[in-house]
Amino acid sequence: MMSLPRLNTILATCLITTLVLWIVIPFAMALMWSMVDPGTSWSYPDILPPALSFERWRIMWETSSLKTAMFNSYSLAPVAGMIAIILGAPTAYAFGRLTFPGKGIAQILMLTPIVLPGFVTAVFFASILVSLGFHSRYFAILLGHVVLFMPYAVRILSVSFSQVNNEVVNAARDLGASPFGVFRAAYWPAIKPGLFAAYLIVFILSIEEFALAFVIGSPTFTTVPTILYSYLGYDFIRPNAAVVAIVLVVPNVLLLIVLERLMQSANPANVSGKG
Amino acid sequence: MPNGLRIILLLTPGLGLVMTLMIWVLYRAFAQSFGLYNFNGDDLLTLSHWQGMFQNRRYWNALEWSGYIAVVSATLAVAVAYPLVIWLRRPFKGSFLLSALIKAPYFVPGLVAAFLLINVISYHGFVNEFLIWIGVWDQPVRMQNDKNGYAIIGLQVWKQLPLAFLLLSGAVAAIPDNVLHAAQDLGAGTWDRFRKVVLPMTVTAMQASLILIFIGAAGDFTFQAVAGPTRENSLATLMVTYQGASYSDWNGAAVIGVTLMVLSLLGSIVFAALVQIVAKLMERV
Amino acid sequence: MPDLDIRNVEMRFGGFCALSDVSLSVSSGKFITLLGPSGCGKTTLLNIIAGFLHPTQGSVLINGKGVTSLRPENRDTAMCFQSYALFPHLNVHDNVAFGPRQKRVARAETQSRVSTLLSQMGLDLHSTKLPNALSGGQQQRVALARALAVEPGLVLFDEPLSNLDAKLRDQVRSEIRSLQRELGFTAVYVTHDQAEALAMSDEVFLLNGGRIVQSGKPRDIYFKPKTRFVADFIGAANLHSGPINSGAMTTPFGPLSVDSPNLSMSTVCWRPESAALGGPLSGVVSSAAFQGSYLDVFLTKDGETIRLQISGDQHLEVGQTVSFGVPRDRVVIIEDTDTGQANA
Repeated sequence: MMSLPRLNTILATCLITTLVLWIVIPFAMALMWSMVDPGTSWSYPDILPPALSFERWRIMWETSSLKTAMFNSYSLAPVAGMIAIILGAPTAYAFGRLTFPGKGIAQILMLTPIVLPGFVTAVFFASILVSLGFHSRYFAILLGHVVLFMPYAVRILSVSFSQVNNEVVNAARDLGASPFGVFRAAYWPAIKPGLFAAYLIVFILSIEEFALAFVIGSPTFTTVPTILYSYLGYDFIRPNAAVVAIVLVVPNVLLLIVLERLMQSANPANVSGKG
Repeated sequence: MPNGLRIILLLTPGLGLVMTLMIWVLYRAFAQSFGLYNFNGDDLLTLSHWQGMFQNRRYWNALEWSGYIAVVSATLAVAVAYPLVIWLRRPFKGSFLLSALIKAPYFVPGLVAAFLLINVISYHGFVNEFLIWIGVWDQPVRMQNDKNGYAIIGLQVWKQLPLAFLLLSGAVAAIPDNVLHAAQDLGAGTWDRFRKVVLPMTVTAMQASLILIFIGAAGDFTFQAVAGPTRENSLATLMVTYQGASYSDWNGAAVIGVTLMVLSLLGSIVFAALVQIVAKLMERV
Repeated sequence: MPDLDIRNVEMRFGGFCALSDVSLSVSSGKFITLLGPSGCGKTTLLNIIAGFLHPTQGSVLINGKGVTSLRPENRDTAMCFQSYALFPHLNVHDNVAFGPRQKRVARAETQSRVSTLLSQMGLDLHSTKLPNALSGGQQQRVALARALAVEPGLVLFDEPLSNLDAKLRDQVRSEIRSLQRELGFTAVYVTHDQAEALAMSDEVFLLNGGRIVQSGKPRDIYFKPKTRFVADFIGAANLHSGPINSGAMTTPFGPLSVDSPNLSMSTVCWRPESAALGGPLSGVVSSAAFQGSYLDVFLTKDGETIRLQISGDQHLEVGQTVSFGVPRDRVVIIEDTDTGQANA
C-alpha cells in the first residue's frame, strides 16, 4: 500500500500542475491573441499564431476609445478610494473602538451594498438619477463606487482602529500630548497600513467594476471593463478583447500583490498564523 | 458632547450615506415595480406590471434559469472547496502554493475570466485543438454558449471557489487541535471527528459561503451575457434588456429586480436551513 | 486498573531529540507526575502515552499489552487538556456524554454516569449551558468529568490547573486527588509547578532535556536531589563546592558538617529551612523578608550568598552577624553536572 505522505505529494503535484496550466494556458492564449498580426489570421489548423506583432496594440491605442476608457477608469478609482476612506473612517472608528447599542446591527447593515445584486443597485440608482435629472456620469459612477466599496474599506479600517493600543493612547495623554500628538503617536502607526490597504482595495474594485459603469455610463462614458464588454458582447472582436483584458488585469494583479502585503502588516494576527 | 450624538455624527458620513443610498435604491425598485415613478406615463399604484410579467414566458424562464445556475454553482463550489479545505488543514510540502493557486481566480475580474474561458473552449480554442491534436476528436466540437449553461457554472465555480475556500478554511483553522485530539481521545475515529466536531463547527461558514455564492450567481449578468446560451436570459440580463434603450420599461425591469432580490432571500433561507438540517442529521447517524 | 510501562522511548522531530531513552513504569492506581521546565519533553511523553504521537523508538505498554501502534481512539486513556478543549458547540451534558456515546455505552448507563459526574463536580445546574458560558474553574471540571465519563483505566493530565487562579488551583488540585483515590484510576500528571508535583504525587519523574533526571517519592526528590539541576528546580537550595576533610566542608560561612568520608572535590546542597539559628556557621544579613510563617533571610560572606528560612517569630536586622547550623543529615552530596545521567 502506498504511504499517506507519498499519496499526498502525488495528489498535490497533480493538482498544482493542473491549476498552473489552468491559469497559464488561458493567459498565454490571451497574450497570443493580442499579438496576432492583423495582416495574417490565426485559424483552425495552426496551434500557434503564424505571425506575432504589437501592431494590434498600436492600432488599439491610436484608434479605439481604449485611451479614453483608461483615462476614465484611472481618474475614477483614485478619487473613489480617497473619498471612501475619508467618509468611512469615522464609521470604522466607531466600529473598531466604541461600544454602543445596535453596533452589531450597524455592522451588518454596512454590508448591504455587498449583498444586493450589483445590477439591481445599478439600474435603480440610474432610475433615481433620471428622476433627479442628474447628468454627470463621472460623478454618478464615482458616488456609486464610493458607496459600493465603502464596506470593504470600513471593514479593514475598523480592524486597524481596534488594534490601536489603549495604553499607548493613555500614555501619550498622560505625557501631555495634544490631540494631534496623541493621533500621531498612538493612532497613526497602528492604522497606517490599514489606510493604504483600504485605499487600494477600493481602487482595485473600482477599476474592475462593471455593472454601474455599464448601466450608467454606456454608451458615452466608457471604462476599461465596459470597453472589454463591448468587444465580448455585441460584436466579438477577439484580438481587441485580448488587448483590453490584459490592460485590465495586469495592473490590478500587481496592486493586489501589494495589497496582500499590506493586509498582512495591517493585521498582525495573520502573520503569526495564530488563531 | 453626549455619547449618542457623537456616535450618530461618526456614523453619518459612512454608514449614513451607504444606508441612505441603499434604502433609496431598494425603495425605488419596489415603488417602480408597483407602477410609481413611471417614466412612460402617469404614476399609478398598480399590480399591472407584476401581472404583465407573470404572463411573460421570458420572465419565468429567466427566473428558472437564474435559480438553476445559482443552486448548482453554490452547491458545486462548496462541495469542491470543503474537501480541499480539510485536506489542506495541515500544512505539507506544496500546500501553501496550492492554496495560493486556489485563491488566484479571486483576483481575476469576471469579464476577463469569461473571455479567458471562451478562448479555451471556443471552436478554434485550446481544448478543441489539443484534443484533435492527440486524436481524441476528429473535428472541433462546439462548446461555446452551451445550452445547459455548463460554461457559466464552470465560471461561477472557478470564480467563487476562493470565497468558499477562504470562509471555510477560516472556520476549520479556528478549530483548535486540542478539541480534535479530545474527540479522538474519547474514541472518535476520523469519520466521527468529521461529523461530530468539524462539521458542526463549520456550519456557519458553510451557510455563509452558500448564501454569498448563491446571491452572486443568481444576480449574474456578465457570465450569462458572454458565455451563456444565447437563447436563455438570466434575471439580470432580462432586467437590463427591459430597462435598456429598446424597451425603456423601467417598471418591468423593477418587477424583475424585485424578483431577483426575493429569489436571493429565499435561496439564502433555504440553503441555511438545509445545511443546518444536514449537519444535525449527520451528527445523529 | 491498568499499569503503565514505558520502555526506552525516543522521540525525534527532524534533528531535534525531544525524548531519549525514557523508561518508566507505574503500577495501577498510582498517581505519578512528570515534572520539568518547559521544553523538557514532558508533554511529548504524555502525547505518546495518549497516542497522539508515535515514538521513533521504544514501546508503550498498558496493562502489559503493547499499544505503541494503537490509535488514540482505541486506547484505554482519557486526557484532561491544559486548554480544556471542550467542544464549543455542545452543552455541558453533551460534552460529558461524548465519550460514552462514542464507546457505545448503553443509553441508561451513559445517562447515569453523566448525572453522577455532574453532581460530583457541582455542575448539575449548568448541564444545558454551552462551555463559553462557564467560568474557567467550571470548564476545568467539565473537562475532568468528560475524561472520567469513559471510565478510563489511565487518566492523563496536561497541566490542567495552569489556567486557574491560585486559590481555585489548590481546591481543584485536592478534588482531583480525592477523585483519583475514590475511583482508583491510574493517573499521569504533567506539570511544571514543583509544589503541585510534591503535593499530589505518589511518585515524581523529573525531566530535563528529554531525559528523566531523577525519580522517586516527593520527599526523596526534595531532600535528596542527585544533581544541581534537581536541587535548583525543586525549591530553593544552597550549594557549596570544595573538598571534604574529616566529615566537613570549608565554606566562607564556616565548616559545614557532611555525612561522608574524605572526598577531593564535591558539591553539597541543603535546603534553606534546614538551617537553625546558633551553630558553627555565620554570615551577615543582607536582607530579611517577613513572610508570615517564616522569615526569608539572605546571608553574605566573602561575596557568596546563601538563603535561610527560619521561624517567622524571629527578628533579624540587615547588617547583623548571625550564627547558624545545618544538621548533618540534611546536607547531601550531589553531582555537579547536568548531563541527566543521575537516574542510572
